[in-house]
Amino acid sequence: MVYVWFVLWPTVQAFQFSITDWDGLSADFSWVGLENYRTLITGDSVFARAVGNSLAFMLVVVIGQTILSLALAVALLRSTRISIALRALFFFPTVLSSVAVAFIWSFVYDPTFGLANRLLLAVGLGSWQQPWLGDQQMAIYYLALVQIWFHAGQMMVVYIAGLQQIPQELYDAAALDGAGRWQKFRHLTFPLVQPATVIVVAYTTIQSFKAFDLIIASTGGGPNHATEILATLIYDSAFRNFEMGYAAAQSVIFMVIIAAITLLQRRAVSLASGGSNR
Amino acid sequence: MTPAQHLPSPGRGPGRRSVLTALGAAGTGAALAACGGPGSGSGGATAAPDPGGDVSGTVNFYHWRSEDKAVLEELAAEFSAQHDGVTLEQTIDPSEQYQSTAAQKARDGEIGDVLTAFRGTQLDQFADLGIFTDMSDVPYLEDYQGDLIGPGQYEGTQLGLPYQLVFNMPLLNIDLAEKAGVSEVPGDWDAYLDLLDKLAGSGVTPIAWPGNDPASAFQIINSLVMNNGPDAEMFAKIESGQYRATDDWWITCLTQFQELSGYFQDNFSGSGIDGVLSLFTQEKAAILPTGSYQIGQVRSAGAEFALDLSPVMTNAAGEEPTYEGIFNSTFILGVNSQAKNPEGAAAWIEFLSDPVHAAAYGDGTTQHVTVKDVEYENPDLQALAPWQTRNTLLAPRFQFIDLDIRSAVENSLVAVATGTSPEQAAEEAQALVEEKL
Repeated sequence: MVYVWFVLWPTVQAFQFSITDWDGLSADFSWVGLENYRTLITGDSVFARAVGNSLAFMLVVVIGQTILSLALAVALLRSTRISIALRALFFFPTVLSSVAVAFIWSFVYDPTFGLANRLLLAVGLGSWQQPWLGDQQMAIYYLALVQIWFHAGQMMVVYIAGLQQIPQELYDAAALDGAGRWQKFRHLTFPLVQPATVIVVAYTTIQSFKAFDLIIASTGGGPNHATEILATLIYDSAFRNFEMGYAAAQSVIFMVIIAAITLLQRRAVSLASGGSNR
Repeated sequence: MTPAQHLPSPGRGPGRRSVLTALGAAGTGAALAACGGPGSGSGGATAAPDPGGDVSGTVNFYHWRSEDKAVLEELAAEFSAQHDGVTLEQTIDPSEQYQSTAAQKARDGEIGDVLTAFRGTQLDQFADLGIFTDMSDVPYLEDYQGDLIGPGQYEGTQLGLPYQLVFNMPLLNIDLAEKAGVSEVPGDWDAYLDLLDKLAGSGVTPIAWPGNDPASAFQIINSLVMNNGPDAEMFAKIESGQYRATDDWWITCLTQFQELSGYFQDNFSGSGIDGVLSLFTQEKAAILPTGSYQIGQVRSAGAEFALDLSPVMTNAAGEEPTYEGIFNSTFILGVNSQAKNPEGAAAWIEFLSDPVHAAAYGDGTTQHVTVKDVEYENPDLQALAPWQTRNTLLAPRFQFIDLDIRSAVENSLVAVATGTSPEQAAEEAQALVEEKL
């Protein structure tokens, strides 16, 4: 009953709105059939750009965050004073709100007074200075780096928990067989930490689609829609342009994309699992 | 438990649980659009109450200017002293939030006995929903300059009173201009470029442009088009399809803007408003191309140099410009048709309409006001007061009702500033406009 009320009913209602031209406020609206969908698919280049940005952002964040958090976990696995302090340091961003993170990084990325360009200048790389969030080709990736920084510590903790489950005897046996550090990682650590990887990839995928607040507070989707993702576009359609019917159609397509990715991920995990059993 | 025990069996298609899990995750996206349902209907505007009735209780003033809170509190204290037992409370939302949610929040009258609207889209929305009452016959209408309160009208009815008079034109550091050898604010395109060349030659950044802050960055569009546009309704006519972004006049604007961008600070496309304000207040940049509404912030940051407004004059030397500058009147005050305290609301607007109180508001916020016979004490307001009577155009940027079309046209400025040709940028903008028409 709870599932029907809180998940299925809003989904059905979103579809209901998506076939209207309702503005979100007035009582007047008309049924427009599938017109909103037709426009979105054939005549809205900003929507197409937002879909591309969302997928690019997700891909970079999932790959980058998985690699970084695993690397941090492996590096800080041993419980020395320094590694415990470093773990706390890397975990720290997680406790910040995403709006605060956006605020901090907008200062880092400021092209005139920001830390990033000043550092480049200080190390003699002044010619590498960038407009950062003003770069229409790269801005979405610079925001992806912020997202990775934001959540890598949290995922590191998941990996540390996974790594601690691996028996030390396996590493001892591998050492006796002459395995080096890389071979131990490739043939022992990486396969045995797979359950943690499943969690990290799933969580990171969800987090990347939920980066709405980070992007709204950093760039508002600009410049020129360069950092527009589906969530920010839906917000604009619904609450700035007051096209709630159109926003609902965007949401339904967003829902289909998330559902497809979720199913693909589960399928990929199934295949990977089958491979490991052979 | 081995790792594989956590995972589904291989070689099977998605099961019922997988599908439900996927739908569950996806439902969050759908919920965004399903957070409300069609609301109640709207009616025609009812007449605003006359002031002078029995005023008591609490009056709620709903607006978006948190920077005015302290000044309004002082005025509220005086208002309470005039009307024994009346309290004025402020409800303030950030401007972005106010634009998106004010109508929804205020429509039942729980907040906003008196509320404000942005010129254009939001006023239209309030009118459609019947939120504002008709102020056409209120006695304090006489206190306002008639030629400045037009933006408070909707289909011939005065639904609100624009309280602030803003000049959306670049601010020029006169001291830096004089040091660079220029003693007059430029009156034509050649003189403008000459000023910029001399400023650059004197070692300062001529223009600090906040390319990554659309609300501020695109104020420059107003003075850029005022003498290039074929008429005063140029953007409204792009939106109606009568004009196109590929028309010669817009391509001329883009070409001139591309030329201006050569005088911006390095990496301008990533600059936010805080960064360029710092450049300007520290006298590292001479022109801040936003508007008079930022003078207060410039002074708060400690800047003491002389200021003037310097619109982008695109006319040829010797050619009489159609307009000398840009103005906008906004912060439109209105009485909520569902106000819980309509008499108090009328009394508060009447109070603000008094020239003495309007002067206190203006001086406290460094904003000109649309009220007649106001004598400012603030030196910047006094210095810029002559602009109130000059031949200025109502800011055309706010003619856009569709924000996607506005964004498409405005973003063509970013495109040319970062290397796209004016013709190509115009074509791309027009393509986006046509998608929305």
